[in-house]
Amino acid sequence: MDAFLTAASLFADPYLIGVVLAGTVAGVLVGAMPGLSSTMATALLLPFTLTMEPIPAIALLSALYCAGTYGGSITAILVNAPGAPPAAATAFDGYPLAQKGRAGQALGIASVSSAIGGIFSVIVLIVAAPLLARIAYDFGPPEYFALALFGLSMLASISGEAPVKNLMGGAFGVLLATIGMDFTTGVDRFTFGFWELSDGVHFIPVMIGLFAGAEFLLQSGRLDRVVVRAAVEAVKLPSWLDFRHCLPTIARSCGIGAFIGVLPAEGGTVAAMIGYNEAKRWAKDKSKFGHGDIRGIAGPETANNAATGAAMVPTLALGIPGSATTAVILGALLVHGLRPGPHLFTTTPVLLYGIFTAMLLANIIFLGVGLLGAKLFARVTLIPVKFLWPSVFVLACIGSYALQQSLLDVWIMVIAGILGFVLKRYGFSAAPIIMGLILGELVENSLKQSLIIFDHNWLRFLDRPIVVTLLLLTILSVGAPIFRRIRARRRATAETQGGPAQ
Amino acid sequence: MSGDIGDRSRVGDGSAARRLPRDVVVGACVLVSCAVAYAITFSFKQAPAALAQNVQPASFPRLVISVIAVLSAGQMILSWRLPEKALKPMPWTIAISAAVMIAFVIAFDALGIVPAMVLLCFGLPVLWGERRWHLIVPYAILFPAAIYGLFAKVLGVHFDPGLFGPW
Repeated sequence: MDAFLTAASLFADPYLIGVVLAGTVAGVLVGAMPGLSSTMATALLLPFTLTMEPIPAIALLSALYCAGTYGGSITAILVNAPGAPPAAATAFDGYPLAQKGRAGQALGIASVSSAIGGIFSVIVLIVAAPLLARIAYDFGPPEYFALALFGLSMLASISGEAPVKNLMGGAFGVLLATIGMDFTTGVDRFTFGFWELSDGVHFIPVMIGLFAGAEFLLQSGRLDRVVVRAAVEAVKLPSWLDFRHCLPTIARSCGIGAFIGVLPAEGGTVAAMIGYNEAKRWAKDKSKFGHGDIRGIAGPETANNAATGAAMVPTLALGIPGSATTAVILGALLVHGLRPGPHLFTTTPVLLYGIFTAMLLANIIFLGVGLLGAKLFARVTLIPVKFLWPSVFVLACIGSYALQQSLLDVWIMVIAGILGFVLKRYGFSAAPIIMGLILGELVENSLKQSLIIFDHNWLRFLDRPIVVTLLLLTILSVGAPIFRRIRARRRATAETQGGPAQ
Repeated sequence: MSGDIGDRSRVGDGSAARRLPRDVVVGACVLVSCAVAYAITFSFKQAPAALAQNVQPASFPRLVISVIAVLSAGQMILSWRLPEKALKPMPWTIAISAAVMIAFVIAFDALGIVPAMVLLCFGLPVLWGERRWHLIVPYAILFPAAIYGLFAKVLGVHFDPGLFGPW
């Protein structure tokens, strides 16, 4: 309680309030801009926070994360181009509603349901993170190894279409983490004579490259895309009738978002899709979905924002990222000399409550900012892409350089960008690579320590109940999506063989 | 993570059946890369047994490479004879932009950050077909100046002076 009061008192400082406000406004703007995701923005903003104290730095990134998730809904509704992937489902009903001249109502529902989801998720974070940390306090290297493995296995379900590719991406990230000097023996690995690589590949240039560099290349192929914006008079607060109509959907999506968010590696995009599907599944009259049903906006918007705070639970309590953006925030904590995990709750409680307060404030601020300024924020789509993306690339280069003031990091960013684009083209995602890169050190060290504890007897992993539970969950999370894929393959093969004969 | 690259339209003609599935080709490339990476691990120095504690520096990378190879083989099996969607041809602007990315880092090293930024902010919009000079010229001057001011003067990041420095 003392820590909470101390953290809350810190926010009496106008500087900290200003930082959260700036993060929120930047988040809404970035979220609203198609192609610029909150993950990319936090990665690009991270180098700016290097000179800041840890609390304002993490507060800024957390506020940007919350607001960026909401910001995507503005362009999803007005332009039919989701500003960020978690808002993709919002466009299904948001844009048809805007075309009917009810953009204000759609934006109002999106703002209110996002804020409710976001505030609910912060409550989940405040309650669940210390509890989880208390459980994790007794974890030894074998438990951490099993937990990291479980976190990586969850990558299989990030995208139902390519579970194996996601796992490959995660393993590739772990392999990248082995570059540099081996922690226990001091032997260089994969350094090819470059002494700068002895410290390993820093995840920030890789992250900036995979998110911003790859998106820069992707957008350079879409220069002729014309954006048509639906007209909006004014953003309206939802009427009591609208709110009552959406209330069961909002309540359901709060639960869905919080549950999905807490799972390692899952994030707002998955939560939003499930939130939309559940809103439709529970509706008595499904015919309006896809043609402008407000529940089709409330469902995904509540769910994706409810996942934000929840995704911070494993990030802070276990050091296992709950989503791609929280992986960046985890990286920021490491850069600022903090090791996420249960000890964070005893060593720096003020920082943690500072993060909770910042996220709570960000959700309240973006409700006001969204209701008052959505019309204005939608104008970011008018920024010419031929000027926007060179600016993003320059920021990506300077941001990568600023970290260690090394040109090698800029090269790493550029290579990661080109590689990220190629991988994306062939169906791989960037998020698993980042997860693997961040978790790689934990996986290797905890495995080595476990083997030493167990005298190299692998079977002794099975003596520990938590390890066994986590390993079973790992098998389930890897097996289920692959099994689904095999079934889909059989169905597709049967259709192909049956097709020409019909 | 913002969706797919380009629209993918279903291949409807018979030519697809004669071609290897894309994921099989990708999987084969990954397998070759795994073989190369595995071979590289043999160049790692051996650590003394007391230090390594039965886990040599190459052990973990080899384990991870093996996992990638197994997953890759699994992906190849899963995609075998599966109907797939054709990739949209890559616009030429993407290749140009990738070349510009590399050229920018070379210019950063050779000329210094400010000239490199000015060249990029002027050249890239022009390469992409922008011809509104009244926008290009102020952008190519003001944006690099703002970025340099922010990072070098406010955040204290040191940049090498380059060919025309110090700034």
